[in-house]
Amino acid sequence: MMPSKIMTIAYYTFRELYKSKILLNVFFVGLGLVVVTFVATEFTYGVPERIALDFGLGMLSLSSLGISLFLGVNLLSKEMESRTVYMVIARPVPRYAFILGKLVGLLGIQALNVIVLSALTLASTAFLGGELSPILFWAIGFTLLESLLLLLCVVLISLLANTILSVIFSMVLLVLGHAVKETQGLSFVENHPALKALLDFYHFVLPAFHKLNLKDYVIYKKSLPLSYLLPNVAYGTIYSLGLLCLIVFLFQRKNLD
Amino acid sequence: MINFSNVTKIFKSDILTQNFTALNDVSFQVPAGSMVGFLGANGAGKTTSLKIIMDFIRPTGGRVEFSPEMGATKLEIRRNLGFLPERPYFYPNLTGLEFLYFMGTLSEISRSDIAREVAYWGPRFRVDHALGRELKTYSKGMLQRIGFLSTILHHPKLIILDEPLSGLDPIGRKELKDVIIEVHKQGKTVFFSSHIVPDVEEICDRVIFLKEGRLVYDGPVNSLLVSDQERDYVILVQGGKVLEDRAKSTVTLPDEVRRYVVPSSAKDQFLSAAVAAGGNVFSLELVKPSLEEIFYQTQGRK
Ligand SMILES: Nc1ncnc2c1ncn2[C@@H]1O[C@H](COP(=O)(O)OP(=O)(O)O)[C@@H](O)[C@H]1O
Ligand SMILES: [Mg+2]
Repeated sequence: MMPSKIMTIAYYTFRELYKSKILLNVFFVGLGLVVVTFVATEFTYGVPERIALDFGLGMLSLSSLGISLFLGVNLLSKEMESRTVYMVIARPVPRYAFILGKLVGLLGIQALNVIVLSALTLASTAFLGGELSPILFWAIGFTLLESLLLLLCVVLISLLANTILSVIFSMVLLVLGHAVKETQGLSFVENHPALKALLDFYHFVLPAFHKLNLKDYVIYKKSLPLSYLLPNVAYGTIYSLGLLCLIVFLFQRKNLD
Repeated sequence: MINFSNVTKIFKSDILTQNFTALNDVSFQVPAGSMVGFLGANGAGKTTSLKIIMDFIRPTGGRVEFSPEMGATKLEIRRNLGFLPERPYFYPNLTGLEFLYFMGTLSEISRSDIAREVAYWGPRFRVDHALGRELKTYSKGMLQRIGFLSTILHHPKLIILDEPLSGLDPIGRKELKDVIIEVHKQGKTVFFSSHIVPDVEEICDRVIFLKEGRLVYDGPVNSLLVSDQERDYVILVQGGKVLEDRAKSTVTLPDEVRRYVVPSSAKDQFLSAAVAAGGNVFSLELVKPSLEEIFYQTQGRK
């Protein structure tokens, strides 16, 4: 009974977002991709397929993270502000089903974005004679996982803070989650145990987004060992599940006034 | 249907401001089959009470119970309940029809049943022509009407409405009142809040009256309100002889129009006298009591 409620909410959430102008952005990014590809073939002597790939994956990652951040922050808070949440949970719908439905609906938009942009990226790479190595598909999958993780961070924070603060906090988390990787290898850090412990702690507790980013490898490598990929998939999945439980727990108890 | 007992709600605030008691030990019942008006000025605590009934927020003290016919579990109760929030806002990019299917599906009715209900109620609410349009193109009155439609789609036993008539024009109010009465006649219990006395007086059989978070009256409408026979009429007459001595008060307005206040008992005599005196009677209106007047009346009777 409940899965169908979740899917109903997801379906109409998807429709509502789909009919807002958000996917127009995807269209323009896609258009930009095609134009860049064209320009790259005409004017670069080097490796146009790399430019297409680099640009495509960069845009894919940027737009997915953007969708997570800006649609995620409004996903629940707008429902509460505009009291539409009352219409839904006044019906036989448990609160967890409401949350899951909203999230699945937004992930539908996310998936559509990823499918469109990655199809264009792969097509233009192939068109320019680039090789479609397995790592590309891993990179796309990782982008989806990274966006999911960011989405859950944003939604969780939006239950505790206002919209603007939530966006700022989440961006800070995202930037730190990428930067924390660079700091670990620094000899300065290695020489200061306290700082190292702090960073390790950060790494342990807060989301390490860099684990879900393969962009650095994509251009120069054809594949990565599964022993690198799978633990990171596990990390992203488990972290996301943990956040999801926390979101449901908080929303279940929240006063909706 | 609802037993609201000894409910207190204190809004905790930060260190700078004081805690605010929105509801102070309020108890009342909504009997099955009744049409109950929930009366109170803005800020009296009506919305807070309804949110507690709906379990959107938790009370500081006291509790809310539903009668067994509503169901045993929270989900069962909600299957038998229709709720329309105050000043409802809707998903702007869904069409009217999509919204109704969304709500109906959540209330566990089949698509064919939803279609049947929409075909029946759509024309009655004058929204049938707009169902294919996005909700952001709807007027306020249309949103209120389609919102009400969505609360009765699934034939709930109990309907709770928060200020359903506010923000509607006179025709819109009349229409909505008529369907509320119709739905009530089908055996549904209706509980709705309002800060406008005549609305409650016109269609309710019971009133619960809240003032500043306290219950001040709970009982039949007619013992709260003065009957029409004891009220005054405002009569506007243009021209003719002045009839000051027959009226409680007389005010002269521009264009030789006089505004008389006349007790109900003397209304007919006054009118024939006004006509006989060559005046042109062009308005006659019953004076409706305000919330404040009723409040002082209830205090006086205690
Ligand atoms: N979340 C809240 N925090 C603090 N005060 C609140 C909150 N919600 C409502 N109030 C206060 O409680 C009182 C009652 O509000 P409400 O129930 O909305 O009144 P009504 O619906 O009768 O107009 C108001 O004074 C309002 O300011
Ligand atoms: Mg209110």
